Amino acid sequence: MRRALVLLVSLLSITIFPALAADPPAQPRVTGLWLITEYPSTVAKPGETTTVKLKLQNAGLAPEALALSVANVPQGWKVDILGGGQVVGAAMPAINESVTLNLRLELPANTAPGTYPVTVNAKGATNNAELKLAITVGGDVAAKLSMKTRLPALRGTPKSSFEYTFTVSNDSGKDLVVRFAADGPRGFQPTFTEAFGSNEINQIPIEAGQTKDIKVRVGLPRDVAAGDYTVKVRATAENVTAETPVTLQIVGTPTLRVSGRDGRLSGAAEAGTASPVIMIVSNEGSAVAEDIELTGTMPSGWTVEFEPKLIDKLPPGEKKEVTAQIKPTAKALAGDYIATLRAAAKAGDSASADFRVAVTTSTLWGIVGIGVIAVALLVLVGAVARFGRR
Amino acid sequence: MRREGSPFTGTGAVFAKEYADHLGSARMRVIEALVVIVGVVVVWVAMRDLKDKVTQDQFIFLRLFTYAPESNPVNFAGLLTFLIPLVAIGLGFDAINGEFNRRTMSRVLSQPIYRDALLIGKFLAGLATLATGLIALWLLVMGGGLIVLGVPPSGEEVARGLAFLVIATAYGGVWLAIAMLCSIIFRSAATSALTALGIWLFFSFLWPVIAPAIFDGILPLIAPQRVLAGSATADDVAGLLDVQQLIMRFSPTVVFQEAWLGVFSPDQFTEQQIMRIRLDPRLGHRVIPGSPLSFGQSLLMVWPQFTFMVAGAIVIFTLGYVSFQRQEVRA
Repeated sequence: MRRALVLLVSLLSITIFPALAADPPAQPRVTGLWLITEYPSTVAKPGETTTVKLKLQNAGLAPEALALSVANVPQGWKVDILGGGQVVGAAMPAINESVTLNLRLELPANTAPGTYPVTVNAKGATNNAELKLAITVGGDVAAKLSMKTRLPALRGTPKSSFEYTFTVSNDSGKDLVVRFAADGPRGFQPTFTEAFGSNEINQIPIEAGQTKDIKVRVGLPRDVAAGDYTVKVRATAENVTAETPVTLQIVGTPTLRVSGRDGRLSGAAEAGTASPVIMIVSNEGSAVAEDIELTGTMPSGWTVEFEPKLIDKLPPGEKKEVTAQIKPTAKALAGDYIATLRAAAKAGDSASADFRVAVTTSTLWGIVGIGVIAVALLVLVGAVARFGRR
Repeated sequence: MRREGSPFTGTGAVFAKEYADHLGSARMRVIEALVVIVGVVVVWVAMRDLKDKVTQDQFIFLRLFTYAPESNPVNFAGLLTFLIPLVAIGLGFDAINGEFNRRTMSRVLSQPIYRDALLIGKFLAGLATLATGLIALWLLVMGGGLIVLGVPPSGEEVARGLAFLVIATAYGGVWLAIAMLCSIIFRSAATSALTALGIWLFFSFLWPVIAPAIFDGILPLIAPQRVLAGSATADDVAGLLDVQQLIMRFSPTVVFQEAWLGVFSPDQFTEQQIMRIRLDPRLGHRVIPGSPLSFGQSLLMVWPQFTFMVAGAIVIFTLGYVSFQRQEVRA
């Protein structure tokens, strides 16, 4: 089927194209000299400079120097004709070529509103060209901004990064400096960067008619609850505003934290004897943590047992005390050791804390020592009783 | 026939008289001068070095007792290990035979005091004299440290210093008991002094050499079969090391060294512990280095050494007592 279609198209081309080549569209051959502008009627503001783009077109005429002048210039206006960035007094377009010129109008601040006709002349020895322009003063140009985003709704956990890319267009006829801001729930931190840059910005210049891609990253507070949130991203320039809402769909995750009671991350344990160390497992996330397994990394030869061994459920914002029975080896030397206690939920998150366990040695030998002294004293007393003389 | 009253009646009188005699004697002057000069010189050298080298130390005052400069590798506590026996022997070698030689023994015993009181009074007086000297020296070191270092000692440092004083006194008690035993056994003061010094030399210098030899000798008897076969486990080696250390500990000098190292080095493992960890690295696993032991733990660590010295002094004193009681005292 497709092959048949291709065949048909190629047959058609063969029959049609030679016909086109043989009979080009009739173009009227005109000769002459013209001063052209795309917009003969423009708007200017008092106290500002307006530039009008001109083109001096030579069609089929011999080149000659054409003196440029501006007539009907209102009182106080400063008018220059620029070519190639410099003030020029004459132009000379080649045959069938054009010269680009700029008419710069500097209007005094007290120019009255109204429409002013200005005539630009190009005078040569044989040919003349004239262009009548209408400059309207007073009609203010309204700035106009628009912004849109391709992905206005994102989904993620409180730890993921919510990044939205916006295209901001300056639809007005002049350059604007656009400021950015975002309104969101309390604690939401918007950061603006260029789409492919890392510099933080809060305003950016956009030329007339141009667009810029802006990235906004929304930072979330740690304890944000699961749910849908809307952040309004705003672009403001002069007195216009463009606004687009973006949606953050936050899925809850458990965030575990392990700490000691009263923040104390230390405990003491006697060598060879199990001693309790209280650890507190808290869920600071936004979803229930399930099946939290408790483990510990101990100095070698040590054992640790948890009571309870497993936490079934820990809702967000709640904490649970766990007793870790830490038992150093009987041979452990007195000193401070690191014991790492860890809590890991079945779905992802885990947390750990380093506890400092001071190992104390048994006081048994101290008592034995006292016993030894007591025995020695008993021997002495016995000797006194046995060998005492009158 | 049962005797009447306490055997220790008159101990106070003997103690007071002996103590006064000791403090006033020319021998005491010499001992004092020796102790003070040597102590001050060593501590002064240590302090001068410490000030230059140590910038921050939690136990700077304890370093005064244990720091040995490279130019002069003797620290204060190590020096006391040798000085205390000398002083104790000096105080005790003629305690009993001196009385016999001056023919004053029968005169003393004709007073209403028992021999028990005489012996214990003399022992306690010697110990008190030794303690007086040690306290003076200790205050000298602490005061000098205050002036030179310009920081006050912490409460724990003072407590550890005091513990050292007590341990050093117990160590002196052992040597005093040995010296008095010699003075009871030998009638000649010179023989007594020589014998006591001989014992001191033996235990201070010869025993550390002899003990390993003894250990090597008994090794085939005590070692498990697999050690002799050349496949010793860390536990075996640790156990055998304990035996070797046990033999070493027959010397009071070794015991005293272990004790003051334990008291003065709260922030580092003692040599023996370091050796243990080297043998069995599992013991040093996840240890927080440089974390100081609490004072109580340090005391617990040196408690066996301390009780050994106290009990040893009592036992040696008892031997002397028995021997003295069996002697004949003639007018």
